[in-house]
Amino acid sequence: MALPAPAFRGTVAFSAAESRVQLHEGVAIFSSMITQAVVLVFVWVLARSLLPVAVFGAIIFSMFTFGQRVLNEAAYIRVDHKLNELYLASPLTPESYFLGIAVGVLVAYLGPTLLLVALAALWVGFTPALALELLLTATAVWLFSSSLGYVLSTLFRDMRAIWSYAAILYNLFGVLPPVFYPVGLFPAPLRPVALVLPPSAAADLLQNALHPGVLTPGEVGLAAAALATASLGMFLFALVWARRTAQEA
Amino acid sequence: MPTDALAAQEVRKTYRTRGGPAVEALSGVSMTVHAGERVALLGRNGAGKTTFLKIAATLLRPTSGSVSVFGHDAIRAPDEVRPMIAVVPQEGKPFFHLTPREQVYSYLRARGLTRATAKAKAEQALSEMGLTEVADRLSINLSGGQRQRTMVATVIATSAPLLFLDEPTIGMDPFARRSVWESLRALTRQGSTILLTTHYLDEAEALSDRLYIVERGRVLIEGTAASLKQGIGGSLRVSVADGARLAQQFASFGSCVTDGTTLHVLIEPPRLSELLDVAVRAQLTATVGPVTLEEAFLRAVGRSIDEE
Ligand SMILES: Nc1ncnc2c1ncn2[C@@H]1O[C@H](COP(=O)(O)OP(=O)(O)OP(=O)(O)O)[C@@H](O)[C@H]1O
Ligand SMILES: [Mg+2]
Repeated sequence: MALPAPAFRGTVAFSAAESRVQLHEGVAIFSSMITQAVVLVFVWVLARSLLPVAVFGAIIFSMFTFGQRVLNEAAYIRVDHKLNELYLASPLTPESYFLGIAVGVLVAYLGPTLLLVALAALWVGFTPALALELLLTATAVWLFSSSLGYVLSTLFRDMRAIWSYAAILYNLFGVLPPVFYPVGLFPAPLRPVALVLPPSAAADLLQNALHPGVLTPGEVGLAAAALATASLGMFLFALVWARRTAQEA
Repeated sequence: MPTDALAAQEVRKTYRTRGGPAVEALSGVSMTVHAGERVALLGRNGAGKTTFLKIAATLLRPTSGSVSVFGHDAIRAPDEVRPMIAVVPQEGKPFFHLTPREQVYSYLRARGLTRATAKAKAEQALSEMGLTEVADRLSINLSGGQRQRTMVATVIATSAPLLFLDEPTIGMDPFARRSVWESLRALTRQGSTILLTTHYLDEAEALSDRLYIVERGRVLIEGTAASLKQGIGGSLRVSVADGARLAQQFASFGSCVTDGTTLHVLIEPPRLSELLDVAVRAQLTATVGPVTLEEAFLRAVGRSIDEE
């Protein structure tokens, strides 16, 4: 997307401030990794051979939960601090405001995820193709979930309402489908559903890269197309939505 | 003719809430703020001040009406307006995990200022708001008034052409309030325009060139503090302790308001000695002072409530 130079400069400055704010929440950053860590321990104990699948799933899950942080942060600074009014009534464009929060959260929370990437390198090793596929799928999941998180954040007028909805959303789409476990163990009739939900689509594409053949070529096409469409579509929608909601109805 | 900083025509806003009844917050507000002016919006809680400010600041879509900021359409072309404005939101708070120094500086950077300019302007605003001592303390550890000062510092540091301040001095001590007044005066001297709301009428009087009193979503009165005070029928206020029971004796002097057992009579200076004679003869104590804007406000809005 072609942002004019001054707008882009503002985004960098704003996301730097956002990162700095987020980095003060050490516990939040730690807790953002707790589900992944616990799942990896379970897998270590129960089925050590599944660790490669689980660690890639954990990376994808992390990218997905960044969206939950965006949801929380965007809602919090709007509902509790009214800082949206400060930033939106300014030269910073509404699109840059959304991007600033999304990038700020990413930068602050990326550290622990990179640890997971290091674990994956240790257990599996990266070919250039696998590294590229991880980069693309992880980016797509981040784009999707951050965009979704921002859009959802605009719908709430009370922080307490958010927590319950966010828990449903992120567990239902991030834990239930085959993200941490092999897609082959997922009920066959429901496989297409798993392959169109962005977190499981990404994780299952990576599983197919680790163990070629777990997805049919048709399924690879479906998952890749669904993931690309969902992430780009949601991102474009969030840009439009950010602009629309900058002026409340 | 130079364009006005703000020109609003017949702005209406009806909030529609899920389940609840629709609320008509603005029922046709028109106002003009000339470039370089400081204008205060006064009105009771719920009168519509914040609603108007948010619409003018491109943050809320009106149901109908138009607003232009320096000739640009604030409703249809908000992108053209936003670079020229800055807003202190009602009950806003700084980032808790930034220090005032980081908050002001990073906001200016987000607005596109260069590092050097942002740094210089941030330091100046922090010092104007008396925040130098706490500038490196996280805002979460600041007092309520210090946080509010940080919000005001963030916005005045922009020296934007048009500043909207919604109850900027709420919770501030008298010294801090005066620092805000001084900074706002300095900003208009340098060419900025200011529209603010306040419930402190001494502040409105000290600070604004003109006032609008808003009541139930309409402009009730517009004018200078002096003209508003003149409009209520006297420039002096005589407070007669224990005079409420003798209200009829004083009624011929001017308009009377009872306040507990005290009677306030608004009169013009020529009748003062006559009134004091009456008070002395009745063995009552009378105190004389100028009419305040607060009285003018209470009278004007009170009359309008009575008429409803
Ligand atoms: N989001 C909203 N949804 C529904 N009604 C609203 C909303 N915001 C404000 N109102 C109503 O609109 C009216 C005007 O509110 P507004 O906040 O503009 O008042 P105000 O003059 O700023 O008051 P105050 O001095 O208390 O800040 C009030 O009756 C209020 O209840
Ligand atoms: Mg208000």
